[in-house]
Amino acid sequence: MVSVRLKLPSSEGRVARWLVAFMTLGFIALVAAAIAIGWITIRNRTYTAEILHTQDVRQAIARLQIQMEQSETARRGYVLAGKPLFATAYARSAGNIVPSIATLRRLTHDNPAQITRLDRIEPRFVQLRALRTQSMALVASGQIAEAQRRFAVDASVPLMRGIRYRLQAMAADEVRLLAIRTQRQQRSSALFLSVAGLAAALLLVVAILAILVIRRYTADLAASRDSLRELNESLEDQVATRTADLSRANEEIQRFAYIVSHDLRSPLVNVMGFTAELATAAGPLADLVDRAEAEAPHILTADARLAAREDLPEAIGFIRTSTQKMDRLINAILKLSREGRRTIAPEHIDPAQLVDTIIGSMQHVIDDRGAVVRVERPIPAVVTDRLALEQILSNLIENATKYLKPGRPGEIVVRGHKERNRVILSVVDNGRGIDPRDHQRVFDLFRRSGPQDQPGEGIGLAHVRALAYRLDGTIDVQSMLGDGATFRLNLPSALTIQDITA
Amino acid sequence: MNQHQTVGIVMIEDDEGHARLIEKNIRRAGILNDIKHFTDGTSALDFLFNAADGPAKSGPAMILLDLNLPDMSGTDILTRIKAEGSPLRRTPVVVLTTTDDKVEIERCYDLGCNVYITKPVNYESFAQAIRQLGLFLSVIQVPDVES
Repeated sequence: MVSVRLKLPSSEGRVARWLVAFMTLGFIALVAAAIAIGWITIRNRTYTAEILHTQDVRQAIARLQIQMEQSETARRGYVLAGKPLFATAYARSAGNIVPSIATLRRLTHDNPAQITRLDRIEPRFVQLRALRTQSMALVASGQIAEAQRRFAVDASVPLMRGIRYRLQAMAADEVRLLAIRTQRQQRSSALFLSVAGLAAALLLVVAILAILVIRRYTADLAASRDSLRELNESLEDQVATRTADLSRANEEIQRFAYIVSHDLRSPLVNVMGFTAELATAAGPLADLVDRAEAEAPHILTADARLAAREDLPEAIGFIRTSTQKMDRLINAILKLSREGRRTIAPEHIDPAQLVDTIIGSMQHVIDDRGAVVRVERPIPAVVTDRLALEQILSNLIENATKYLKPGRPGEIVVRGHKERNRVILSVVDNGRGIDPRDHQRVFDLFRRSGPQDQPGEGIGLAHVRALAYRLDGTIDVQSMLGDGATFRLNLPSALTIQDITA
Repeated sequence: MNQHQTVGIVMIEDDEGHARLIEKNIRRAGILNDIKHFTDGTSALDFLFNAADGPAKSGPAMILLDLNLPDMSGTDILTRIKAEGSPLRRTPVVVLTTTDDKVEIERCYDLGCNVYITKPVNYESFAQAIRQLGLFLSVIQVPDVES
């Protein structure tokens, strides 16, 4: 086993955490700066609006001043010259004064000092207007001299002066306000600039921090990716090496099995051959003993008689049966080793149909043994090697019909189901069963279980297991003595060549 | 073709026991031809191709060949015998061996072996096979070696 622990650099981790913390702070500060900038901008706009308002007020004051002066000038001209031109000029200027005052009052309604001044201006204007209307009416009616006389003595000039003085005061006040407000706006602009500068600096810092963090994480990622790749490569190498070792060992075992079984047969041919020669030679000897017994019993010893009639045939018989058995065992090993070298060719197989074929081919054996084999449909399809699967199933079915419980007719069921990507085929019988102690043993080569009353070498299930492994599958048995057995073959639902070679 | 010339049997078999059993059963089949026995490939090849009384120089022969030899594989000998331009390429070769591997048998026939016999461990079958080979030997016509 290869145990793998990824190393996490703890000090670097702490630095990274600090960096992240600073960055978060930086972002918070940035948001605060943005809010401040927004607030300052709004304030700035208010200041600008105030300045504009002040300008408006100043304009309104100036307009009122001009109207006052123009109307006065027009009146005086009319009184002096009596020309109707002055009358129309007067009417034009004077008519605008009342709306101008209203405008001014509206504009300065939030400024009590200006309102007070307007309050002083208005009654004077009313008085002045009355005087003006009077003198204009006099001139219009041709009484120019009377008009001039009244003008010289009436209160027009002081009224006008009073109005002029107050309007100037109002204008001065607005100038003062303008100065204050302009200054305030400038300060606000300066504040805006410094906050914006601060935000820019913050942005720069955060950006640098972000780059640092990203670079660090990228480096960490690259490092861990490299170490993972290294690990992966070394793992692959290890797996490849082990696989090569395994397949070499497997090949060696196969070759060994082949050579052993093959080379063992050679001396066996001799043993069998010369045993037969011996048996042939023993024939004339036995005849000789028979003749000696009949014709010259005195030359015949009990030992010689025993040797010729019992010992020799018995010895030859034992040698024969043993060598025959040895031949079968060697052939079994040879068959297994050959099976291991056979190329597996996966194909699409319907196991139910395959079992039908198997039953058909061994129907006479099944009938002779008084058994019934049933296929429980449906059985899921499987992709695997046909020959191997056929050998496995026919072995299992053959076994099931072979080891019946005396007095109970054999009933064998073949069924199958799918579990995720595996197909499990079961051969269930009601035979004599297998002692749980022997459940592993029955799959070993040359090992058998229960009463040895049936012919066989203990090869079938070893062969079945070797084939099952070959198909990337497993086989197990569930059974109680006297209670039948269930052999379960677990196969991949789709065997690929990679599975076999890997 | 000379009907009266005796056909020598060259047996290349490393196992003395097998050789003896083969010879015995050939004799029992009534074949009395001369049998020359070699236990290794080198001396057998030397006899086949170079000896004055060998089949390449004089007289027709047939060859019994075992595939498992100590110094070389029987298929090597078969290849030499059946090679293009070999004076013995028409000489019948009976491969008599323990190998019953399908691939090996096919290979031998591909190389030009005339008969392939598996040595059965069952002696009765073995003796039977050899006797049948004896019958075979008694009826086949062996061509003259090209000079």
